[in-house]
Amino acid sequence: MGLVDAGKMPKSITKLLNISRKYSLWVYQWGLACCALEMGAAFGSPRYDVMRLGVIPFPASPRQADLVVVSGTVTDKMVPAILRLYEQMPDPKYVISMGSCANCGGPYWDSYSVTKGVDQIIPVDVYVPGCPPRPEALLEGIVLLQEMIQNEDPAERWTGAQDREPIVVGGGPIS
Amino acid sequence: MPDSVLQATRSVAADARERSERRAQSVSDTAVEEDEAVVETDAVREAIAKAFADHLGDGFIDQHITPGSDLWIRIDRSAWVDAARFAKDRLGMTWLDFVSAIDWLPSPFGRDMEAEQDWVVHGREDKEIDPQETGVAGGETRFQMLLRVYSTTEHMGVTIKADLPDGDATIETLIPVFAGANWHEREVWEMFGIHVAGHPDLRALYLPSGFEGNPLRKDYPLVARRVKPWPGIVDVEPMPGEDDDAEEGSE
Repeated sequence: MGLVDAGKMPKSITKLLNISRKYSLWVYQWGLACCALEMGAAFGSPRYDVMRLGVIPFPASPRQADLVVVSGTVTDKMVPAILRLYEQMPDPKYVISMGSCANCGGPYWDSYSVTKGVDQIIPVDVYVPGCPPRPEALLEGIVLLQEMIQNEDPAERWTGAQDREPIVVGGGPIS
Repeated sequence: MPDSVLQATRSVAADARERSERRAQSVSDTAVEEDEAVVETDAVREAIAKAFADHLGDGFIDQHITPGSDLWIRIDRSAWVDAARFAKDRLGMTWLDFVSAIDWLPSPFGRDMEAEQDWVVHGREDKEIDPQETGVAGGETRFQMLLRVYSTTEHMGVTIKADLPDGDATIETLIPVFAGANWHEREVWEMFGIHVAGHPDLRALYLPSGFEGNPLRKDYPLVARRVKPWPGIVDVEPMPGEDDDAEEGSE
């Protein structure tokens, strides 16, 4: 990683590395509520077939995962578990927040027990809005994330110099 | 005596079943009228309520029967465990459906009253607090305990209510009668702040450790509503087709 630390990796190698990274995303599934069914449809069913995008939805543990999809209602009681498993994922790691609850609390915006957005505890790369989003929306989020990975400079990513702008599927402001 | 009550309820229930079977066989256009006639009285549930009244004596306060559907009785707090044991051992209601509580306090918070930003949008309206209501079988105090037990063989259940005096929200544990009441009572304890005397393991079941307050009490404030306007307001946009004319006019 000497080259990476120095930020001098040749562009062609960066490109090759990024292609291989974006087409072997091992995704850790965090299904918490009804969004988990849509995620299951996207990841498990032949109709949507996420593996044609190069996403592999069965790591045995977060230590083998590159991507985590948090789909559903995050409660305050669940926060320590989410943090702990997120910290076990090896860098570089990506987070997709799926559904209104994980994005901002959704219909539970005034609840005493629901965390108002998973981005309060871990950095989110792609927001997939919807209540719940259709599997196509999640797949679009994954495609957008792959685009982001393709255009990424790993050196900047790994030294933390990169200023990451989260993506919202379907556009729109983040507030 | 209570065993004979159980016998009586069984025979009455068998009679009712027989009647309904006969009715099902009879002509359909007269069946509707007969149905209405049948549900006006409910001998089985009246017998059950009477059995409770006889057994509990002064501990029995009130009853409410929806004929053909359900039965509620209200008892004194001191008869709580006794009533549960009686229902289980003598009336055959061996299945504990739930133990819970109700806070009858009218909510001091309305949606418009609570969030300051909503005051800006709508103007502040001082809401008059509604008078305290109570459910079936009456009640005088803010907190009421609820116990529902059910007989899986007779298909007959009863909801037992007990008023908790204001300022002394304490109830005796039902664990010696129904071991499964353990978690129900822990939930009542953490959600309503009702102390369960004699409970061996009174700690939070659902709430994260360190949580302060009893969220199902009506006077528990929701912090998000105090710092944020109702998010639905910013989303208000015309439904498709609803305001088409107005938009065309403005353009």
